[in-house]
This record gives sequence, structure tokens and C-alpha cells, in this order.
Amino acid sequence: MQTTVIKPVLSVYTGLFLLFLYGPFVVLGILSFQTGPNGGPQFPIIEWSTYWYQHVFGLTPPSRIAPLPIYEGLARSLTLAFMTMIVSTVLGVMSAQAFRTKFKGSDAVFYLIVLGMMVPGVLVGLGLALVANIVGIDRTWWGTAFVLHVVYTFPFAFLVMLAIFNRFDSSVEEAAWSLGVSPIKTFRKVTFPLIFPGVLSAMLFAFTLSYDEFSRTLFASGRDLTLPLAIYGTFSIEIHPNIFAFGVLTTLFSFSLLAVYAVLMTASLRRAKRVAIQEDA
Amino acid sequence: MTDVLRIEGLSKSYSAKPALFDVSLSVADNEYVSLLGPSGSGKTVLLRLIAGFEQPDAGRILFDGNDIASVPAHERGIGFVFQNFALFPHLSVYDNIAFGLVNRERDPLTDENVLRSKIMTMVDLVGLKGLEDRGVHQISGGQRQRVALARTLVSQPRIVLLDEPLGALDANLRTRMRGELRRIRSQLGVTFLHVTGSETEALAMGDRIVVLDNGSVGQIDTPDAVYNRPISPNVARYLNCYNLFEGAIDGNAFSNGVHRFPLKGALWPNSVPAYAIRQDLITVRQSGVSLADGEAGLTATYLASEYTGAAFMYFFKAADGHIVEVEGHLSHRAPQNLDANSTYQLVWKADEALVYG
Repeated sequence: MQTTVIKPVLSVYTGLFLLFLYGPFVVLGILSFQTGPNGGPQFPIIEWSTYWYQHVFGLTPPSRIAPLPIYEGLARSLTLAFMTMIVSTVLGVMSAQAFRTKFKGSDAVFYLIVLGMMVPGVLVGLGLALVANIVGIDRTWWGTAFVLHVVYTFPFAFLVMLAIFNRFDSSVEEAAWSLGVSPIKTFRKVTFPLIFPGVLSAMLFAFTLSYDEFSRTLFASGRDLTLPLAIYGTFSIEIHPNIFAFGVLTTLFSFSLLAVYAVLMTASLRRAKRVAIQEDA
Repeated sequence: MTDVLRIEGLSKSYSAKPALFDVSLSVADNEYVSLLGPSGSGKTVLLRLIAGFEQPDAGRILFDGNDIASVPAHERGIGFVFQNFALFPHLSVYDNIAFGLVNRERDPLTDENVLRSKIMTMVDLVGLKGLEDRGVHQISGGQRQRVALARTLVSQPRIVLLDEPLGALDANLRTRMRGELRRIRSQLGVTFLHVTGSETEALAMGDRIVVLDNGSVGQIDTPDAVYNRPISPNVARYLNCYNLFEGAIDGNAFSNGVHRFPLKGALWPNSVPAYAIRQDLITVRQSGVSLADGEAGLTATYLASEYTGAAFMYFFKAADGHIVEVEGHLSHRAPQNLDANSTYQLVWKADEALVYG
């Protein structure tokens, strides 16, 4: 009886939620097909065209609208996100592994690690910039900003791996030891394949968080801008639909990353299912 | 016989709660020792200490005469079979069995042909033929048990520790695997130390039985001796086939205030006086008949019975409130028709009881 009321209400709510989530992106997507070079970033669409996409790739004849100054930023952001992903995931796996056995002061260390994702990014960025000035280190996206990105994303990777290890049955590792296999080889041959779904999630978190990190990078990255900073920079001059076309393209790139993640995840979940069946028996 | 494994004064506590205290025992070469204890008696802890998964607080573990207390688990060369089998879920049956030979630190096997023939021999021995390429999730519980065993045995350890290896199997499979375990062991001549919570399993499997009692060794002896002459009331209790009475020695009788049983035969030294009579040594008679010479007995109210196939279990309530269990084997006793809530005389030979005091 109650479901007859609750169901429509929940569907409307879900619909609204999705509308707010994807509405802005749809608007950007539509506007990116505005005619160029005279069409602006507003409705109505004067004429449908792929002019701005061509503009993004430098395929249009020269016009008064300069190419987007963001390509170097894109390269930097991808490199930075990749470096951050690798380092944070490795650190996350290692520290979560350490937390499998309780050690002296483990509670305190846990909170100190997790604090890295709680503290306001603007303050951390500013603080690091000040420290770098005092110590005399140049601020760079691959140095100071990289450190902050790791500090920020490492706790996420750590928490993901902690959850994975929490329900990990360590008797398979003991079984490997009792067969004469060293702990290091056991980790490589048994533990790692079994925690791989978690490692993938940790990597995805670290990459996406670093890829569009803004506040910390703003102060810490120095002269060379990362992608979010470069995009923000273009807003201060004049907005053309080419930035929308670029937005659509990067979003498609993110979706393809997610697709890769989904494929890898399905493969390892199929394996995890076997584990579950084994535990049930 | 030489001892493969000697344990001397082993102790282990968890946050000041003792799990094992001063455990000493030895296991001979080519011997099957079962380790019996109720849950919480420390039997799994003992096994984990021997395997090197955990460190003892005190005591020595001698393997082939060498103290291995500080040797890491993967260098001990002691096999371990887990209750949940702990198979590698991401590997096939074949790769599970090959895992130790290929990946071990000490002289790993690299010759593919030698490896294959070793594994196929083992697959044959444990009866897994034709299943080598299956994933470990695609086989039954009993087959997984065989994989776990094969994986351990193929690297030819001198001794294999089995932690309730049959506990995860259903009843008829368990009985079959008991025979299999014994056959495989004697064929390979490897020493087994088998932990179990089931007294029937311990009695059926072991050349000797070690009974663990609250973290200490209660008794070490042959199954026959443990079954017929448990050394203490606790050991008798774990065997699950004795009726136990607590009380005091009073002249030439044992008394708990309500019942008096005449003493015949030896008295077993124990700090707590107790009287034990095995369930299948008791006969049920109509009440009112007096006891013959050399007999002990009590009157009790019949409650219920339970049919177990080859035997009947009868449950009585004695005058002191004690539940007395009587086992009647149908091969030498016809099933008795007893009236519920009627009083009967339970009788046994006084010299067949065990008295501790």
C-alpha cells in the first residue's frame, strides 16, 4: 500500500537528481556545437556545426579567436595524475598492509594519515607555498604540487585498501608460507592478485582526484599551470564555445578511463566470486 | 622410533589470557597423532605455534633436534592443512598443487616434466584424476579437501599439521575422508598431527591421542587407553561417553550427598574427587530389586531416548538432578520399552567405574 506512494516519489527524486547531475554537462555539450567563429556561448544555437571541435584541434583557418592555452596544461595534468596515482596507490597498499597487524601508536598514525584528506586544500596549498619560499625551493607542478597531490590522494587509496584487507582471509598467505614460499613472493603471487580489485579502485580514486585538483595546486604549482588552472585562466578573458568542446572531449576521455576500470573490475570480481563460493563451502 | 617433533614447556598468552601453558609432547617419525580438545582448549594455537604463524612466549619447539622457535614459517618445512582449506582461489587445481614446488625459496622445481609427473602422481594418490584443470570453485567440498592435502603433501614435508581438516565436510564425507587420510598417510610414511574437536575422529585416526585440557596436556596415550582409562575427570568429560559425578571419598564409598557408590579397584589421583562410569556399561532394571554384590547403582526417572542406528541413548534424571545417559547397543541388547516418568534402577559393576580423588 505504502509502495504505491513511495515508488513514484522516489522515481521523481531520482530523475531530478540525474537532471541536476548531468544537466550542466548536457547544456555544455549542446553549446559546443554552436556555429563559429561568430557564435557565442549562449542560446539559441544559430546553426549546428563542429567548428569549435575543429578549433580545438587547430583545424580551422586563423581567426580572431586564439587557440586555447591549455594543451601544455593537459599534458602536465595527465602526467601529474599518473605520477600521483602510482605513488599514492603504492603507499596506500603498503600502509594498509602495515595496519593489518596492530602496532604501537597505530590509532594515532591512522588519524594523522586520514587528516590529509580533511584539511582545507587552500590552507595546505598556501602553507606549502610559504614553506617553499622560506626554504628556498622553487614551486613546480612536478615538485611541490606533486607532493600535495600525494598527501591529498594517499588517504583515499589507504582507506580503500584498508577496507579490502579487512575482509581478506590471511590463511591463504599462511598456506603459501607453510609450502616454503617466502613472504615477499607470497605477496606477489597470492595476496596481490586477490586484492587487485581494490588496487584498481584506489588507482581510479587517486587519478581522478589529482586530475581535477584545484585549490592545493593553485598555490603550490608555480608558473606552469595544470589543466584546471589553465581552464580557469581562460574564463578571465572571454569565453568561447571552444572551451565547451574541449570539456566534452575530456569528459569522453574520463568515460573511457571508467570503461577500462569497469572491464578490469569485472574480470577480477569474477575471481572474487570464486573466493566467496570457496568460503561458503 | 625417533622423534620428529618435540615440544618442551610451550606457553602462549593473548593479552594476559593464557591460551597454552607448559605444553610438552613429542611426535615420532611416521606416526599419526590426534590432538583432541574442546573449543578454547588451545589446540589451534598449539598448531599455529608449531607452524610458525605465531611466536611462543616460552618453551622450545624441536624439529629434527633443532630449535625452530625463531625460524620463520616458510623455512620450517612443516606442512599445514587448514580447516577452511585456504586454497588459492585464483589458481586451478593443478596450479594449487604446483604452487609450493614452483615458488618455494629452497630449491624450486623448474623442470616442467618433473613437475608434471610429481603432480599427476599426487593427483592420482588423492583421487583427483581428471579435475586438474578445474578452478577450485568448480569442485565439491570433499575434492577441495583433497586439493588442500595434495598441495601440502606434494612438497614432501616430514610432518603435516592438520587443523580440523574434516570439520568443513558433511557427515558421510567425513567418515570416508577419515579412511582416505589414513591410507594416504601410511602410503607416504609422513607424520601427521591432526587437531580435532571430535572424540570419535580422534579415537579412530590416531596412533596416539593427546588430550588438551584448558591449555595444558591432559593425557597422552593410545586411543584404547584414553578411552578406557581417562586420566582425569576432564579428559573423561571430553570423551563424551562418561557419566560424571562430583562429590567426595567417604570411607569405602564415593558420595555426592544423594548417591553412594561402593569403591572397588584403584583410585586415580586428582585434585577434585569425581566418579565416572561409561555410558555403555550401565544396565537398566526395574526398580525395587536390590543390588547384587560388586554392583553399584542408583535410581533414576526415565526421560527420553534417542535412536542412533546401531544404538539407543536413554536419558534418565537421577535423584540429585543429574542427567544420566545410558547407551544400549542393539547388537547385544534388545531395545527396552521404558515408560516415561517411571523410576528405574541403573546398575553397573563397581570395578568398572573410574574413581578420581
